[in-house]
Amino acid sequence: MANRAGAQRPNGATQGKICQFKLVLLGESAVGKSSLVLRFVKGQFHEYQESTIGAAFLTQTVCLDDTTVKFEIWDTAGQERYHSLAPMYYRGAQAAIVVYDITNQDTFGRAKTWVKELQRQASPNIVIALAGNKSDLSNKRMVEYEEAQAYAEENSLLFMETSAKTAMNVNDIFLAIAKKLPKNEGGGAAQPRQQGMKINNSETSQASEGGCCK
Amino acid sequence: MAGKSSLDNVTQSKVDGYGFERDGDFDHSSYDEFMSRYLAILSRRSIRWSGIVSKKNRVPRSRKVKRYCRKGIPNEHRPMVWMCVSGAQESMASSPLLYQTILKSQHDESTVEAITIDLHRTFPDNIYFSANGNLRGPLFNVLIALSHKNSDQGYCQGVNFVAGLLLLIVKNEEKVFWLLDTLMNDILPDFYAPDMKATQAEQELLGEIIKWKAPDLHAHLKKMDIQWCLVATKWFLCLFADVMPVETTLRIWDCLFYEGDKILLRVAAMLIIQNKDQFLRCRTFTETMDFFKQIVNNPKITDCHAFLQKCFTELGPFPKAKIKALREECMQGVK
Repeated sequence: MANRAGAQRPNGATQGKICQFKLVLLGESAVGKSSLVLRFVKGQFHEYQESTIGAAFLTQTVCLDDTTVKFEIWDTAGQERYHSLAPMYYRGAQAAIVVYDITNQDTFGRAKTWVKELQRQASPNIVIALAGNKSDLSNKRMVEYEEAQAYAEENSLLFMETSAKTAMNVNDIFLAIAKKLPKNEGGGAAQPRQQGMKINNSETSQASEGGCCK
Repeated sequence: MAGKSSLDNVTQSKVDGYGFERDGDFDHSSYDEFMSRYLAILSRRSIRWSGIVSKKNRVPRSRKVKRYCRKGIPNEHRPMVWMCVSGAQESMASSPLLYQTILKSQHDESTVEAITIDLHRTFPDNIYFSANGNLRGPLFNVLIALSHKNSDQGYCQGVNFVAGLLLLIVKNEEKVFWLLDTLMNDILPDFYAPDMKATQAEQELLGEIIKWKAPDLHAHLKKMDIQWCLVATKWFLCLFADVMPVETTLRIWDCLFYEGDKILLRVAAMLIIQNKDQFLRCRTFTETMDFFKQIVNNPKITDCHAFLQKCFTELGPFPKAKIKALREECMQGVK
């Protein structure tokens, strides 16, 4: 559920409510999950991003009108054997980004499997976004935009092609998710982690573009 | 002076003695402060070790060697001592042609692909593993050979970092292959199995140890909804490589190759328990998770000598039978 702490006024600013959501990234190995998160959270890109072992936990805040949306992000390992750990990360998640690599058809197939699993086993109202990453490599494209878009529509997924390298659509996909998430109290679908959680904004960096928090 | 080969004159450099680039926020002053003390310890240890390393370049297993391993193996003896005390030397001697034979054999395509994906994603900030470095080839060889020999376990992401750090220290891919094989089969059986159950159980076991050694902290972390598997997967799979400062990881491995898996639990428990007061001050899940990231790399951890000493003196005994029983319970609990 959305942990709302409307009375909080971080940094002394006059602000509306603060919502906190758990978001998980899933997808085949090396499609760019960590790179998307690194771009979103730190505005950086590494040509050679280390393989993620287990999962990495990061946070980032975006602003939507009068609402501050704080994402708790679980960036998971892509190797098939880590699959058994995945439910631990998507349990209670209000949002998921399922990532594939537009230059690799197999990763799109794997993404569809993740979507199915989330639809079956994650929280019923989870917001799922499909990200076709590495859109800067369109000369090596193996997954057509239209194909992915049609699939996303059929399954009511948000869909964007992204590039962690050029930053294209990276903040946008997180913002689109933030917009779609229910911001009213009790509006989230997942099990509450903790009722009345205090939101501490002091160490949270903010999205470099796209949000209103500067 | 022996023992300093990788360490001297590098404190101010942008690249450390092992080839890792230091990031912008590297804490030079506390590192220098530590090194000025540690170099004296290293030269003392080096003299002690020279007394037990035989002319044949062998060391036997003995209480004395075990104690010496806990106090740190000088870098120049590490490859030999790790090979001897772990049993890897013996395995290599009994199958002298195996490594080359596997390398020449046909390789499974999907394994090749999985390993190839990780070659440029293993220590990209290390000059030897960069595009111009010379260790990506050996890394591939070691990992493919290991996956073939242990085909029931296959290639597990995480081993690439262990193999990478071993290559930096041992500098001989066949020996690295045998050390990894010993880790996978003798020291940490099932850790790298495809079902991941043993690694999950080990983390639950860490939770039980925290409960036993620091029940109030355990209760607090439970209240914060911390699940052990969210915290320590990388610690255990990478054996703290790419988690802690290199020197500290190597000191842990000095014990791991001699004594086995218990050291990982001791270190993990110490990491958490030595920060008990700060953990108790964390009020949310997010704060707690962020703090978990800080506890593995800070001046307390850089001082590997003091930290290792603490792991053995401040946590009390870890009786084998008790650990074994707890581990079995945890294994049952993992679905």
